Amino acid sequence: MTEFGQHDRSLEELFADAALPAIDDAGVGVSEIDAFYFGNAMGGMTENETHLAPALATHLGMQGIPCQRFEDACATSSNAFKHAVEAVEAGRHDIVLVGGVERCTPETGLDTGVMTRVFASASHGQYEQPTGLTFPGVFALLTKRHMHEYGTTEAQLAEIAVKNHSHGQYNPHAHFGRDATVEDVLESPIVADPFHLMDCCPFSDGASAVVVAAPDRAESFSSTPVDVTGIGHRTDAVPLADKADLTETRAARQASTRAYKQANITADAVDFAEVHDCFTGAEVLATEALGLLKDGKGGPAAAAGRTRVDGEIPVNPSGGLKAKGHPIGATGTAQIVELTTQLRGDAGKRQIGDASTALAHNLGGDAATTIVTVMEAHA
Amino acid sequence: MSEPTDADKGPGHVKYEDWREHLETGTLLGVQCQSCGAVSATPKRACSGCGSREMAAIELPERGTVYSETTINVPPEDFDGTYQVGVVGLGETRLLARLRGAVDIGETVMFTGTIVEGDGPGPVFESAE
Ligand SMILES: [Zn+2]
Repeated sequence: MTEFGQHDRSLEELFADAALPAIDDAGVGVSEIDAFYFGNAMGGMTENETHLAPALATHLGMQGIPCQRFEDACATSSNAFKHAVEAVEAGRHDIVLVGGVERCTPETGLDTGVMTRVFASASHGQYEQPTGLTFPGVFALLTKRHMHEYGTTEAQLAEIAVKNHSHGQYNPHAHFGRDATVEDVLESPIVADPFHLMDCCPFSDGASAVVVAAPDRAESFSSTPVDVTGIGHRTDAVPLADKADLTETRAARQASTRAYKQANITADAVDFAEVHDCFTGAEVLATEALGLLKDGKGGPAAAAGRTRVDGEIPVNPSGGLKAKGHPIGATGTAQIVELTTQLRGDAGKRQIGDASTALAHNLGGDAATTIVTVMEAHA
Repeated sequence: MSEPTDADKGPGHVKYEDWREHLETGTLLGVQCQSCGAVSATPKRACSGCGSREMAAIELPERGTVYSETTINVPPEDFDGTYQVGVVGLGETRLLARLRGAVDIGETVMFTGTIVEGDGPGPVFESAE
């Protein structure tokens, strides 16, 4: 993957900087790749660029193979990954390139007001957008309800931002990373209460890519493969007022149940997780929905350090969306990159020792799309 | 406050245009499944509970309870200032709305009109306490 941050190059050039290292890491020739599963959420709105998959394939010397582009808001490239894994599992393809790219910073020429409107396009056009609902607002609604039901506090949310910033400083690809304090978070301006600016992930540019291969082909690769052992993908109602419950993130519960079943594990077996912390409250909801923590315990557990990289259930060792950054269409496969790096034991200072089972949780929109992936170190 | 018209009750189904016209004239139009009774605060072509396509217009209550709320300080383009939005419980369904009066979760609110800043109107609720 590329560093997440601000990039002034075109989508195809940015994507190439993630894709070619992934192809080289696998040690495969471009001519051996027999399909391309690609994610980009907003290029049509932000850069006036659509139909990107064949253009990017051409740029990488892969023209001619089947290419497809996915758009499921922030879960865009996880959905590309899911389809790639299922196609390989079904025997339809042997070696597939999967990845995503997005530019969300002012490098696109769009300011915060315009980008806030672009992000709000993932909420319902007739029944949500006219109220002026924003994406921080969506997750604020979910989180305020959680605070009401369980007593989760702003200080507990801030602890998650502090943790993920701390983790991010050990990730060379992260947009941000430093030692911050709870006071830093609580003193930053309010975006949508309870979220301060430092509760929110940044607008980032970046790209990520992975190579998915059939087991017999992966054995011949130059690098150590890791196994994808479960993928669950479920959706919930849109508009969000139609959701039966605002704190359960039902799609995450159903998707993780499915992923755990496929992998033949329970949540207890997960050594660490990369979860979709677009806002600190989203990490609370995710850790509970995935069964890593009991309902209502997401905030207190984070405040107690249980989800730190050296805690009992590390969450977002990469820094998460909060610190690593969130180039929408690149986020899903960037989580897969972190799982792969950790399961290979290559994560340096943020390495979780002996990690053999890992989980990625990527959601789209108001959590209406959720994809949960379980990966394990190759036996 | 007008009753839903015969045209709403169908043979035709309830459309966004019907919902919008009612909102603009001061009524909250929902739909109710004629098979299982499930209610939605916004038009649906089929019931999320049972899949039935017999979704008839109903008038929703104008008094509700705040289920969740937030105050937005960084608005999208076309919107101004700081404002409160929330999910309002209306009987057995819920609706996203603009809120006025710094209301809290659990507070009773009344439907009082619409705001038009983006594309189309949005419902407005105010504290009834
Ligand atoms: Zn029904």
